[in-house]
Amino acid sequence: MRLRALLVVVGLAFAAPLRAGETAVAASAPSARDWAELAKLPDWSGVWTPLPPAVTGKPPAHAGQWVESEPQWRPEAARQIAALEAEEAAGRPHNIYLNCLPEGMPSFMIMTLNALEILFTPGRVTILGEFDGNRLRRIYTDGRAHPADPDLTFNGHSIGHWEGGTLVVDTVGLLPEVFLPLGQGVGLPNNGDMHIVEHIRLAGPDLLQDDLLITAPHMLAKPWAYTRKFKRHRGAAADIVEASCRQGDFVEQRDEAGNAVFAPLPHDAGGAPLPLPTGK
Amino acid sequence: MGRAFCRLLVLGAVLAGLPGLSLISPALAHHSFAMYDPAVTVRLDGTVKEFQWTNPHALLWVVGTTKPGENPTLWTIELPTSPGNLSRMGWTKHSLSPGDRVVVELNPLRDGQHGGSFRKMTMVQTGQVLLVNLRDQPKTEAAK
Repeated sequence: MRLRALLVVVGLAFAAPLRAGETAVAASAPSARDWAELAKLPDWSGVWTPLPPAVTGKPPAHAGQWVESEPQWRPEAARQIAALEAEEAAGRPHNIYLNCLPEGMPSFMIMTLNALEILFTPGRVTILGEFDGNRLRRIYTDGRAHPADPDLTFNGHSIGHWEGGTLVVDTVGLLPEVFLPLGQGVGLPNNGDMHIVEHIRLAGPDLLQDDLLITAPHMLAKPWAYTRKFKRHRGAAADIVEASCRQGDFVEQRDEAGNAVFAPLPHDAGGAPLPLPTGK
Repeated sequence: MGRAFCRLLVLGAVLAGLPGLSLISPALAHHSFAMYDPAVTVRLDGTVKEFQWTNPHALLWVVGTTKPGENPTLWTIELPTSPGNLSRMGWTKHSLSPGDRVVVELNPLRDGQHGGSFRKMTMVQTGQVLLVNLRDQPKTEAAK
């Protein structure tokens, strides 16, 4: 009995206490009913590819990318954006994703050119990306609140709930370095306290729409409303594939011992691969 | 990959390691394509040296000419997307093979180096046209 009491005391000592604003989350395994409840949710299965501007109805705002609504920058941020746009137009992009750190939110949803897939499990929605090294978002739908003092991350801490067929997602806890992106060569860090609310729903039989409202008080004069749409595909031909961030920075070759190795490629300052030196 | 090409790669790696010749940045990955001039289209007539099926962008090396009488040179061509998207457009890692005769339309680097962003390719032997257009991706059911 003394040993059992000791174990209880030790267990309590290691249990994380709830902090203000936090709610207890069931630690038990999901029940058969929990799994059955998932069948009542809308069908978001398949592979979702982002729609290009011609389909969303807006012209591309920046080379190779598109935004549906321009953010209203605070004056100092607007000055920086204007300078970045001028550099981009002159062919000297200041790339915001070049270091292969995660792009983070909202880039995960609004900048990707690659496919997503979405998984429902009890208490969780998981969005798997092909872009950016197959990174993912975890959205907790088990009723928990955000942590009172979350560790800051690239995709933040996301909680969600269903309003009919719409998943409402609230994301906080984002690193201040995470970008507000207008393109791969134009964007600024959010500089802290960014908050993102999304309404994700089927806007058609095979059309998924994510309406984002991005609040970044240090950089934006008012919340930035942005809509991204994705179309659905099924079948093995559309499957998401493994996607590393930097493999294309290298060339596949054999070393002197005959081992298969990656050798670095030369690039220009903007990241474009260059012809190899000819030695001639 | 041919031995001569490997030697070029090794030379590139050696040069990049020398002070003052830092051809290779520490990390590149996803980048803007603004260094390519969208207003200029170069027509490169040549032979595929290598086709590399890698993320985030597939790469293509072609030895060819852009005007009559020019000595053939090696061009590095960056496809503007990844194997995942290319697959959904009907490409495979076998779409191009070393030795294939091709005509490539590309947007060249603004600084005049022989690099470019892929626009369109015609296979000389078959007349097949290969495109990279995210709007075509995939060719299955379109969104309503």
